[in-house]
Amino acid sequence: MSTDSTANARGSEIVFTDVVKQYPGQTEPAVDHLSLGIDAGEFVTFVGPSGCGKTTSLKMINRLIEPTSGTITIDGQDTRELDADTLRRRIGYVIQGGGLFPHMTVAGNIAVVPNLLKWDKKRIRRRTDELLELVGLDPAVYRDRYPRELSGGQQQRVGVARGLAADPPVMLMDEPFGAVDPITRSRLQDELLDVQSKLHKTIVCVTHDIDEAIKLGDRICVMADHGRIAQYDTASEILANPADDFVADFTGSGSALKQLALEKVSSIRLEPAVLVHVGDPVPDVLELARRHDTDQVIVLDADEAIVDWYWTINLRGPVVRARPGRQPILLDEDSSLDTVLDALVTSLHEGAIIVDDHEHFLGIATFDEVTAHVRRVNAAPGAIGDFDAGRTHQAPAPDAPAHGQERP
Amino acid sequence: MSLDRNERQLFWGIPVIVVAGALGWVLWRATADLDDIESRQLAWGTIGTLLGQHVVLTLICAAVVLVIGVPLGIALTRPGIRRVTPAVLAVANAGQSAPVIGLIVLLAMAMGFGTPTAVVALSIYAFLPVLANTITGLQGVDPALVEAGRGMGISSMGVLLRIELPLASKVILAGIRTALVLLVGTASFATFINAGGLGALIQTGIALFRFRILISGAVIVALLALLVEWLGQVMEMIVAPKGL
Amino acid sequence: MGAFIASRWADIAFRMYQHASLVAQSVLLAAVIAVALAVVVTSVPRLEPIANAISTIGLTIPSFALLGLFIPLFGIGTTTSVAVVTFYAALPILRNAVVGLLGVDRALLESARGMGMKPLAIFLRVQLPLAWPVILTGLRVSTQMSMGVAAIAAYVLGPGLGSYIFTGLAQIGGRNALNYAVVGTVGVVVVALIADAVLALIGRLTISKGIRA
Repeated sequence: MSTDSTANARGSEIVFTDVVKQYPGQTEPAVDHLSLGIDAGEFVTFVGPSGCGKTTSLKMINRLIEPTSGTITIDGQDTRELDADTLRRRIGYVIQGGGLFPHMTVAGNIAVVPNLLKWDKKRIRRRTDELLELVGLDPAVYRDRYPRELSGGQQQRVGVARGLAADPPVMLMDEPFGAVDPITRSRLQDELLDVQSKLHKTIVCVTHDIDEAIKLGDRICVMADHGRIAQYDTASEILANPADDFVADFTGSGSALKQLALEKVSSIRLEPAVLVHVGDPVPDVLELARRHDTDQVIVLDADEAIVDWYWTINLRGPVVRARPGRQPILLDEDSSLDTVLDALVTSLHEGAIIVDDHEHFLGIATFDEVTAHVRRVNAAPGAIGDFDAGRTHQAPAPDAPAHGQERP
Repeated sequence: MSLDRNERQLFWGIPVIVVAGALGWVLWRATADLDDIESRQLAWGTIGTLLGQHVVLTLICAAVVLVIGVPLGIALTRPGIRRVTPAVLAVANAGQSAPVIGLIVLLAMAMGFGTPTAVVALSIYAFLPVLANTITGLQGVDPALVEAGRGMGISSMGVLLRIELPLASKVILAGIRTALVLLVGTASFATFINAGGLGALIQTGIALFRFRILISGAVIVALLALLVEWLGQVMEMIVAPKGL
Repeated sequence: MGAFIASRWADIAFRMYQHASLVAQSVLLAAVIAVALAVVVTSVPRLEPIANAISTIGLTIPSFALLGLFIPLFGIGTTTSVAVVTFYAALPILRNAVVGLLGVDRALLESARGMGMKPLAIFLRVQLPLAWPVILTGLRVSTQMSMGVAAIAAYVLGPGLGSYIFTGLAQIGGRNALNYAVVGTVGVVVVALIADAVLALIGRLTISKGIRA
């Protein structure tokens, strides 16, 4: 993404060893003997109830809070060996709402750390524009605006850009999206993941929202009290095999639904169909479907855009027509299963058409397949059973036959 | 009105200072070895008379300011008249920068020396805080509450008396307290136009270069001002509606 | 009146300048003291109530009384004037500086610290600019108040326009009494209005567009 010479600093490894934080005047430590390893380039989320020590743990990494005992190393170097300010200039820090300085412009905010590092003006300017583009804000429009002239989501994007300004190997985020509405939050999360897929920083993100933790983290550290790690693992492992009741409670009864968020469409079987065009003779279409052993027909218009979707028994008349208002749902092949489920439930369609980047037909995801997949993955009873019982009776037509993975 | 910790410290601190200061001065006066001039100027009777004049002057002016300032502030927030409010406040603000001593001297030339002149001059000067706070307080009342009141069928006068004024009372009372403290201070200039008050001690002290008279006057005026500030706070606590 | 002003124009102008200069120097001195105090007070939370008490009680003390209390210390003349004006000028600035500095979002300060800014840089580049509008309001209040206090300070032979007012008082009944009183009083108003306009302009120039009301 970058032409800047300092750019592309990959992540660093962070290791907590027996870290304790004891505040004076309190009987119990806020963080009690925390040991934890974060791999270089990994995105780890700290999640837990308020007061569990997650924020304290985060702030000990850049020494906004000094550990009482124990060590924290970044790429093997003890953070206490460095001057605190020098250390912090190498670690991006993003807080709720962005924490932008209201008296500085967007560019001024992003330039704070580069200025501290005494970069020359041209380089700062280049870097600022580059970062604004990275977070999806047009530099020409936003560079000279003040924070109050931005929406909450835009402020948060600038906050992320500011955290990345000096291309630090490590980024710390403290409830970064806590102050924005759910829709904007979801979009910002997607963008952050997109940025991370390009930059491969080591990101540590504190959140109280288990859904956010699951969505963002390569690994999730569920903290109970005093920084005790209840479970530290990948999202699917935490959801499928919670270490104890605390984790199970915290992830909640909707964990089967949460798990759907982690699975891509590619992990379920897609129904095949034949592709035909508007105006094709119906008898020819039926013959084609029979030959491909399917009863599903996708109708394209002259521009090869998908305009309708038939069961063969519903084809009437001499030629295939596109019924007005029957535009089927198209979903990207990278869509998660919860997106598919959501689309199906809200649209009342029996299935969603999955397409690739060029809108080429890949297959049809049906409600039955989504639920069957969940059943296969989670043989375990409990939440999954509830999910099943609540949903399967709404499943689409029982006449949908089982077919092979063949595509027309 | 509930006080936070800081206000509570101050709330009990002021009377402690006033009582200790007053006792200290009385003790000093009773035991000090004064010359003739000093004993005459600082005679108990004289001090009592001056203190009485000072307090009466302050109270008369406060009454005048209250009776004119609050209704005018109310009027300036009513629909229709509201348009001229910014202009009125601008003029009042500019007038506030005129030195009070200049105002007193100019009025004395027009009206002669004496208490009536002092009352007019001081009242004009203390007028702004009451007017401005009345307007600010009433403007700060949530219009939705006024609308709710009208919606329930309360008359506009009823809404003013039962909703707007109670809700604005804290701000209005703060303005009155400010005015009272200002008046105690400025009443010490009344002596320049023979309208009495404790300023006489300071004036005499400076004129005769007698520090004991000078400081006695200054201390008593300062203690009186602090006492009035405190009484203002007490008044706010008693009068202000509890729910605020 | 016209003839009075014309014949004394140089003296009037000089006294206006003196008045402005007395206030400007006192307010500047007061601002430095008050902001420094505010910094100390806001960094040691226990001191904050003390600062509040000082400004409340200080503003309660009548200026004529304080003038009386300062004469034994500083004598008759300019020193006492400066001391009295500075004392009052410091109080609104102190109060506003405390409010302004405390009003800066803690999260922003921590954010600055988290980015590796040093304490002095955090104060100069984040805290002070954000508190500045409130401090400047305090400066304006202070300046207006000081104009009147400076006029009273002329009673002890301080510099400025106040002496015209006291001359007018002393000469009541005389030919030029009214002229002295009017020129003194209106002169103070004029100087006050000019000073306020200057401060408003300074505000326009120094308050970041991002936080301007």
